[in-house]
Amino acid sequence: MRKQTLTYEDVLRIVELVKSTRFSEFRLKVGGIEVHLRRKNGAAADGPALPGAASGAIAPAAREAGERAFPPGAVLVRAPMVGTFYRAPAPQAAAFVEVGAHVEPGATLCIIEVMKLMNSITAEGRGVVAEILVENGARVEYGQVLMVIGPDPEDG
Amino acid sequence: MKRPPRRFDFVDVTLRDAHQCLWSTRMTTAMMTPILGAIDRAGYAFINILGGAVFDVCVRYLHENPWERVRLLCDRLETPCDALTRGQSLYTFELFPDDIVELNSQVFAKLGVKVLTVYDALNDNRNVESSVRSGHAAGMKVNAMMTYTLSPVHTDAYYVARTKELVRLKADFLSIKDPTGLLTPERGRTLFPAVVKAAGRVPMKLHSHCQSGLAPQVYEIAIRSGFRYGYTASEPLANGASLPATEEIGARARKLGCRTSLDARALKEIAGYFACVAEREGKPLGRVARYDPALYEHQIPGGMISNLRTQLQMMQMEHRLPEILEEAPRVRRDLGYPIVVSPFAQYIVTQATLNVVQGERYKTIPDEIRKYAMGYYGRLAAPPSDEFLERAAIRPGEFVTERPGEHIEPWIPRLREALGASVPDEDLLLAAFYPKPLLEPLRARAPQYEFRATPLSELIRFFGSRDDIEYAHVRFAGTEMTFSA
Repeated sequence: MRKQTLTYEDVLRIVELVKSTRFSEFRLKVGGIEVHLRRKNGAAADGPALPGAASGAIAPAAREAGERAFPPGAVLVRAPMVGTFYRAPAPQAAAFVEVGAHVEPGATLCIIEVMKLMNSITAEGRGVVAEILVENGARVEYGQVLMVIGPDPEDG
Repeated sequence: MKRPPRRFDFVDVTLRDAHQCLWSTRMTTAMMTPILGAIDRAGYAFINILGGAVFDVCVRYLHENPWERVRLLCDRLETPCDALTRGQSLYTFELFPDDIVELNSQVFAKLGVKVLTVYDALNDNRNVESSVRSGHAAGMKVNAMMTYTLSPVHTDAYYVARTKELVRLKADFLSIKDPTGLLTPERGRTLFPAVVKAAGRVPMKLHSHCQSGLAPQVYEIAIRSGFRYGYTASEPLANGASLPATEEIGARARKLGCRTSLDARALKEIAGYFACVAEREGKPLGRVARYDPALYEHQIPGGMISNLRTQLQMMQMEHRLPEILEEAPRVRRDLGYPIVVSPFAQYIVTQATLNVVQGERYKTIPDEIRKYAMGYYGRLAAPPSDEFLERAAIRPGEFVTERPGEHIEPWIPRLREALGASVPDEDLLLAAFYPKPLLEPLRARAPQYEFRATPLSELIRFFGSRDDIEYAHVRFAGTEMTFSA
């Protein structure tokens, strides 16, 4: 460093020195600059974080323990992918279907958002919505049962 | 008579695309203001200050009003400012009606933007018409971009045809935009002279990223082919996924006999300042990428692959990643070769994942992909495959052939009614783009900005930012400063 000039390169060198050394007191006098630092008790130079401190243990996926039994003849509507379950086309809009609704093949039952893309999930056959197993806005797992479509009693 | 040396000029992207690529778009206005004086002295022809991601990150994550940033930068910088939009989609990936696009151009001009840069991710230039017209009507110059990609249909002739469309639209500048750094010197040797010829008197600009490590050579070919401008970034924020360094391209241009207006001292000051900001804020610096042939195979951006890997891990299907990456080019072909950028990169990756995970092609097709295939967002580069069309069950009457903006009703009357006749245009636009709760934090007063930067002030700011330092004393050239926590 030349006398009475301080460049960004000099600053980066000082910063590097401060970051890479363990010190409680730091004095530097070079060229025209004098720096005197004191570090808080116990604070260490940048190093690896304490194990586990920031790893944010990932909770095991909340999967249903085993799959419960569904009535015979029921059609299970499953999530095609990990994603977010929506019952309506927009936040304030009415749900596509409620329990007890008759559905025709191709009717939209719900939406699964996968990687920011909306996937309409449609009924494969005629039936009556027997159960809706997931809350609106919930995260769903691949293959998770979303709804149960029971046989249409009128068909019986 | 000796011909005067040719000029090659620069568009700075340090305040926009550079931090979008390297710092996840997290450069705040407060990090920019101290160095604006040096940026103005650096000799740039234009300074790009806004793009879709910058606008969105300002609102969603930085809680800054993007219009205030634009106003402040345009006020402080004498160099003309350039702001970029995604055409009919402006800052998002939805489509907006013509009246919103027009009002956006008027607001730009009012805030001091001199160049409106516009592109459409499908290269359907009907999607930039409303921007070009309204930009000119508001008194701005318009720079129209074509997005480069690799596919059997994206030939030199394809880009020549797009160039001619944009010349007919009366764009003032044309750019080739290479968002994933796929351009090679070989391709540049045929593509660049062809588009320069087709552009006629309209000056060409190159905007290419550095993922492959080839960008500086590609810029040389552009300079030799008659391009007039290059987009570049200050060195600490250049290279890697960002654009090449101004310093390097400047040196190459001069070596090729071009005159530039760059000021080496100002560039050095800017680079030193941003290196210190990166240090203080814990942000990465751009590194020169090594040539990687894999980039040219699936073309999927690295960020998206790591995101996909995390999702597959949660499904315990990480081992299927190679299959998905192999499926991706096939999906891209079936979809008519969309350019692998947002939102189409997501389309390809999501559809490829669904195909592999479900063990059957196109059993589930996301709604947006169906709409895309219908032409709702614009004309496709090539028709989708028969297999896809059959599975998507698009009925003949569902195909959209008109300009996408045509099928959207005006919004301004409804917004004015809801917000009151006296609502400022800036607020009306924000309300068109975002739900109300996202806009609440923008009402907070902006901080006091610092408009000077010196190495000493950056050193002091660094000490001030460290939690572990309880006492600091700095003495330099008649300045003495002490602070303790």
